[in-house]
Amino acid sequence: MKKQWLSLALGVVTATGGFLDAGTIATSGEAGAKFGLGLIWAVVVATIAVILMVEMVGRFTAVSQKTYADAIRENFGFKFYLLPLSSELIAESLMLTAEIGGIAIALSLFTGISWHYLFPVAAFIVWLMAWRAPFDLIENGPAILGLLTLSFIAGIAVLGGPSPQLLTTLWHPQIQSGNLADYLYLVAAILGATISPYLLYFYSSGALEENWSAGSLLLNRVTAIVGMSFGSVGSMALVFLAAMVLQPLNMTSNTLGELGLAMAKPLGIVGSLLFAAVLFTTCLGAALEVVLGVSYNISQGFGWEWSEGKKPVEAARFNLVLTIFVIVAIIIGLLGIDPLQLALFASTIIALFLPISLSPFLILMNDPQYLGDKTNGRFTNIAVICILVIAFIVALVSLPLEIFTGGG
Amino acid sequence: MDMSNVREDHTFSIADILDGQLETSDEIEIGRVADIEAEWREDGQLVLTNLITGPQALAGRVSSHLRPIFRFFLRDRFEQRIALKEVEQYGPTLRLRGKAAEYPVGQSEKWIADHILRWIPGSGYSRS
Repeated sequence: MKKQWLSLALGVVTATGGFLDAGTIATSGEAGAKFGLGLIWAVVVATIAVILMVEMVGRFTAVSQKTYADAIRENFGFKFYLLPLSSELIAESLMLTAEIGGIAIALSLFTGISWHYLFPVAAFIVWLMAWRAPFDLIENGPAILGLLTLSFIAGIAVLGGPSPQLLTTLWHPQIQSGNLADYLYLVAAILGATISPYLLYFYSSGALEENWSAGSLLLNRVTAIVGMSFGSVGSMALVFLAAMVLQPLNMTSNTLGELGLAMAKPLGIVGSLLFAAVLFTTCLGAALEVVLGVSYNISQGFGWEWSEGKKPVEAARFNLVLTIFVIVAIIIGLLGIDPLQLALFASTIIALFLPISLSPFLILMNDPQYLGDKTNGRFTNIAVICILVIAFIVALVSLPLEIFTGGG
Repeated sequence: MDMSNVREDHTFSIADILDGQLETSDEIEIGRVADIEAEWREDGQLVLTNLITGPQALAGRVSSHLRPIFRFFLRDRFEQRIALKEVEQYGPTLRLRGKAAEYPVGQSEKWIADHILRWIPGSGYSRS
């Protein structure tokens, strides 16, 4: 029993850390700086979606002992499998570049060296951990440090909390006539940043790495709800901070580093360092989850050996894939695109692809062959479909507008 | 189809075998079934003979037009066959009788370890 509670605590911490990454920090910061609290509702919707998804994928693997990628290939065949695979490769290579950029910016906040020079260093750290670190270190290390995110709440308290005027933007967002495209773009990005499909591949593989069984279902549900809610609190706290500090300064087109000002104002140098630490740990954790999520996906889809518990030569193709994927991100990184803009763009692309990456999942979750009597209830199905449709439509409308008007 | 090595209470369709995970007796996952080969016997029976893996077979699954293009470039070099009688147990995972080293499928694993990963520190490579 004691061990169960320990693993629950770890699970909650893991989920908290897994929630935040370059995508959520970028979208929360931008949302607060541009629209006050007018996008908090999107964070709430995204949180509900990610709780449902994480609970579902944990249940799927615990009961069927299959990962998501296994099931797509076996149930829908090779030709279909290429669809979610290619959408995943496009979106996550951009996202990985943004996460590595986030780590580089955090390092540059600590050292004062330009993030462009630190980008290869950050990529090397990610690769080294993916190459050799055991699974529990990858899962729990960055996640425990991710609790630093709660310092955002301290920042809000020091500033004396939001003004009543700001609070009205919660239900009455101020969108100027020219800003509607920006607003919709951020709605899509918030949904895409939170409901990332790499979580499905990573989480279902992790459940097998940790030998989950049908007895883990209660633990799975509690972890999903409590952990993701905690993570969501960190994300909302950043929206509040950005709304209270950055919006009055009219800082509406930011970089990840400039978002740190939201913490520097209330807490001074300590605040800056805390922000840098949060950026570093959450981006590192997420970069590892993205790299491994994609490598798990490919290896399982093609039926190769995979596991972080094995030496690289014992799962050679899996480790070659993860090495190549980091190299791809370095090449994209050479373009020098600002990580915050890249994270926003990648998140919106993910939102656009959500129907492709998640519809097979929804079908599998209703298949008694895999889940016996543990298939989805009607509420879960309807809720997930609604959120997918919203994310897709908002992304479809806002992406062309954002690209052709040059954004910002 | 020769069903002598299948338990009697199970019936299988081709779809159960296609895309199935191939696992050897030493618990190594070597690949997935890309295609199945069958032959007409003289008595008019259609008998499944081999499981096939490889890029040409996979390309053929995507579109029949791709198969000749892939064959022209790859010239059957990466296509491998496993006789159906090697399968010990059917299901989403197909258990094979032999060890991983006995099958041509999945030898790229060893090639990658021997020629690429061995040069990267920490790969755990040892000459054997």
